[in-house]
Amino acid sequence: MEYQKPIPLKTQDNSPYWDGADRHELILQKCNCCHQYSHPPGPSCAKCGSSELSWESQGSDINGKVYSYIVSYRPFLPGFQDDLPLVIAIVELDMLPQVKLIGNILHCSPEEIEMGMPVKMVWKDIMDDRSIPQWIQV
Amino acid sequence: MESIKNRYAIVGVGESERSKNSGTTPLHLALDAARAALNDAGLKAKDIDGFMSYSENDSCTSHQLATYLGVRPKYVKDILGGGSSTEMLIADAVGLIESGQLNTVLIYRSMNGRSGVRMGGGGWNVNMLQTAIEGGSFIIPYGAGSPAQWFGLFATRHMHETGLTQEHLGHVCLAFYEHAQRNPKAYFHGKPLTMDEYLKTPYLSYPFKKHDFCLESDEANAIIVTSAERAEGCKSRPVYIMGLSARQCVSHAHYWNDLTEVAADYVAPEVYKMAGVKPEDIDVASIYDCYSWVVLRQLEAYGFAPRGEVGNFVAEGNLRIGGKLPSNTAGGMLSEGYTHGMNNVLEIVRQVRHEYKGTDRQVENCEIGICTGWAGPDMAGAMILRN
Repeated sequence: MEYQKPIPLKTQDNSPYWDGADRHELILQKCNCCHQYSHPPGPSCAKCGSSELSWESQGSDINGKVYSYIVSYRPFLPGFQDDLPLVIAIVELDMLPQVKLIGNILHCSPEEIEMGMPVKMVWKDIMDDRSIPQWIQV
Repeated sequence: MESIKNRYAIVGVGESERSKNSGTTPLHLALDAARAALNDAGLKAKDIDGFMSYSENDSCTSHQLATYLGVRPKYVKDILGGGSSTEMLIADAVGLIESGQLNTVLIYRSMNGRSGVRMGGGGWNVNMLQTAIEGGSFIIPYGAGSPAQWFGLFATRHMHETGLTQEHLGHVCLAFYEHAQRNPKAYFHGKPLTMDEYLKTPYLSYPFKKHDFCLESDEANAIIVTSAERAEGCKSRPVYIMGLSARQCVSHAHYWNDLTEVAADYVAPEVYKMAGVKPEDIDVASIYDCYSWVVLRQLEAYGFAPRGEVGNFVAEGNLRIGGKLPSNTAGGMLSEGYTHGMNNVLEIVRQVRHEYKGTDRQVENCEIGICTGWAGPDMAGAMILRN
């Protein structure tokens, strides 16, 4: 069946991230000037304004902790009607706590979700050539 | 801007009918609100030489409004914007008057917010959303397409860090719904809310239930700003601007790195310093209330209760008329009406003027009020007004 949910749009600013996701690899943008990570990536560093940026692979084995979350009981966007209640979380990466990624905690009920909960990144193939990072409880 | 303290005033406020289906255009609504504000001030349309509005591409233009008031303005400005735009345009008007370019400015917000373009969404093109929203491709594919969800992510973290509970969110809703019961023009007039009902209501998006969301309505509001000197010639009782912080920014909300920081944290010290007052000097408040939680975070930012004690502050009934900080006394955006914050400005002007004197809507002895405008964790503005 065709994938009903929004597919990440690749742009000149974010394509290394999403190209990496398609290969099941987390690619983060880093500033060569202030050495901070920029996520979401952008045309220049949102911390210091430098346009000297590079891309750094973090590999495929990514762990984190739930930094914040909500539970959606309505599909505010098309394609999510069968996933309710939907857990949307901000996950702090274990190896880079300054980087936080938004994703869904899959197979997680509202009763289970809590702050600080350890999670692991999984790669969901959404089309033949596209994948997105998601999270499951450890 | 220290020098502008008490030198500018709001001399007129007005609104259109409020409904869920106006059956008319934003231009008609804006004309109704503008004429009501002119009448309130005792001014003629030709006395207005600047017209300004904000919208989300859902309104009429300032040029159109002036045209159909039969006047030729020297200055028109229409900006894209939501919360905190009222404060920003008032600051712009003050600057233009101060520099001698204008005399008197009418600022309005008009929208068919329920029957027309709804902020609550539905029908958006998801690819358009990804490009239109900062960092959109990192949230839309995960189902996070509603402001309720974005604000919720800030809310749950803040609640976790400070011990705020669902009941504390409920106390904000209860206070504002109670005020709406005294305001026959409020959207939820006749619909009182109890804590029991609030707690039993299912979540739309945890931690928010329907009462935690601002409503959507069709309406227009207008405000007239002029110099203190010209205000003396107006029919209304002028409300003087003591302090004003137009619009300050922190990193965009969708750069989720720091959920602890909001723009109001920076606005608060500036607006108090300019006004020369402290939080305890404020008698009445209009706190931007797109969601109940936003009120709690601003109470912390504006120093009405220390971090960690905001929940007790609202549980003690302090937001109610009779409490320490009567807030959103017409019902706010949660229960009166929704014009991206301008209706809250109208109410603070009316309270500080003592327009409800002799009724249960009037906050006793209120001389100084604060109005906060907050588009979100990314930007904020505020002003302090006095009788």
